[in-house]
Amino acid sequence: MIEALQFEFMRNALFAGFFASLICGVIGTFVVVNRLVFLGGGIAHAAYGGIGIAFFFGVPYIVGTLGFSLVAALVMTAVVLKAKSRADTFIGVLWAVGMAIGIILLDLTPGYNVNLMSFLFGSILAVPNSDIWWMVGLSMITVVSAVYFYRDMLAISYDGEFAHLRGVPVNLLYFFFIGLVAVSIVIIIRVVGLILVIALLTIPPFIAEKYSSSLLMMMVLSTIFAMVFNLVGLWLAYRFNLTSGATIILVATCGFFISMILDYLLPRNFVMRQD
Amino acid sequence: MSAPVTEVENVSFSYNGLTVLENVSFTVEEKAFLAFIGPNGGGKTTLIKLLLGLLKPDSGRIRIYGTSPEKAAHRIGYVPQDVAINKAFPISVLDVVLMGRLRFHGKSRLSKADKKAARNVLEELEMLDYQNRRIDDLSGGQRERVFIARALATDPDIMILDEPTASLDTAGRTELYAILKEINKTKTIMVVTHDMMVLSSYVTSVACVNKNVHYHDDAEITEEMMQEGYHCPVELIAHGVPHRILKTHEDEP
Repeated sequence: MIEALQFEFMRNALFAGFFASLICGVIGTFVVVNRLVFLGGGIAHAAYGGIGIAFFFGVPYIVGTLGFSLVAALVMTAVVLKAKSRADTFIGVLWAVGMAIGIILLDLTPGYNVNLMSFLFGSILAVPNSDIWWMVGLSMITVVSAVYFYRDMLAISYDGEFAHLRGVPVNLLYFFFIGLVAVSIVIIIRVVGLILVIALLTIPPFIAEKYSSSLLMMMVLSTIFAMVFNLVGLWLAYRFNLTSGATIILVATCGFFISMILDYLLPRNFVMRQD
Repeated sequence: MSAPVTEVENVSFSYNGLTVLENVSFTVEEKAFLAFIGPNGGGKTTLIKLLLGLLKPDSGRIRIYGTSPEKAAHRIGYVPQDVAINKAFPISVLDVVLMGRLRFHGKSRLSKADKKAARNVLEELEMLDYQNRRIDDLSGGQRERVFIARALATDPDIMILDEPTASLDTAGRTELYAILKEINKTKTIMVVTHDMMVLSSYVTSVACVNKNVHYHDDAEITEEMMQEGYHCPVELIAHGVPHRILKTHEDEP
């Protein structure tokens, strides 16, 4: 691994993995405790429509995807808040429509052929410097927002009705947090692909939730788990010349099953729950 | 003479075209201990959501301390139904109670004073030892105390509780009502309950909610209430003196 660090692409991959883990730890925790995994998947797939728009109309990639995903995310949020019982159907439709628009627009774009595989699994080993800066900026915004609004985030996730009665602007904050989810997903897709985004957003927080006595601890633990999965996955991918995104997902999945087995073997509340 | 704690005048509410409450009027006085009883689907929870300002009446008027429920929201401590809250959520007892201090001084962040206030309330309810426990490690009765602590942390004048005893055994219910009786010394209490035990020795008034509201200024249960208001089987634990036995309505399961 050490000799691999002499390559710039490897250092960039490690940086990208580090910041992706940080964003996923914080935002993924919000997604998992609010049961928004499906919405996250919807945003990630709808982002493909943004890629189509970006290439067809010749606007910068980040403008196309970010714009399209944010609009899709806000529409989905409005539906979740207005008609919770039908939200899953609606998200499913937007999910498919976004991908379809993306594929059709790419068909219609002359002379260009985006590789669907790189979109699905990303290319963490080919992260350009400019994307690293996007990730640094975004993780700063995410972490600062999460720290500043921690109590509000906790309150609206745990008991939104009570938070509303205390005068917390619940719906406004909900839009804000889901907006952050959309921005995070778009930036991270570029690096690790949409399948890995969903895996990184859900698996580490899911494992962390069982061992955490607070939302903050869950965020910290998920970030650490995500970093470990990234590091181990990258090393395996480098060592055995495998696709990095898929390797990281498999490592995360192994972590997931190991935690399930540990839960089964160890007594409940074994770690950290009681302090 | 200050305005009554709560005035409800000719309030009607319907949901998806279905009338839930019709022409409801009653007044609650300072330091009352009011029990809302009535069958499931009779509109008890709807009524307290109207009092909290979470729902708006189709017609009629609700006044809390002479103002609208939205403006009076900060004076009400609300204890929702246990089942309505995500039990597996990673949150500590202290963090739950600290929710009661949100926006207490208009700010998003909490101060040391807020933490102290939250710990004081936990201590009053003998739950301070559990402050760092995760909420789902507690028993039903302990969890209910934490929700009461959260409501008390808002420093309210009125406490509104939705079926606080639903998941408790008899001993737990007795303890919980003892706590409420203590709180009632300084605050008005309104409680939704299926539990007739409360009627025997604690409450000062009863409101039977079944589309209409029959309000009674004492804790007596009359034949009329049974006929018009409470069309459902009553689970009666006659705990106080005198014992009152209520018949189960015949055409209900």
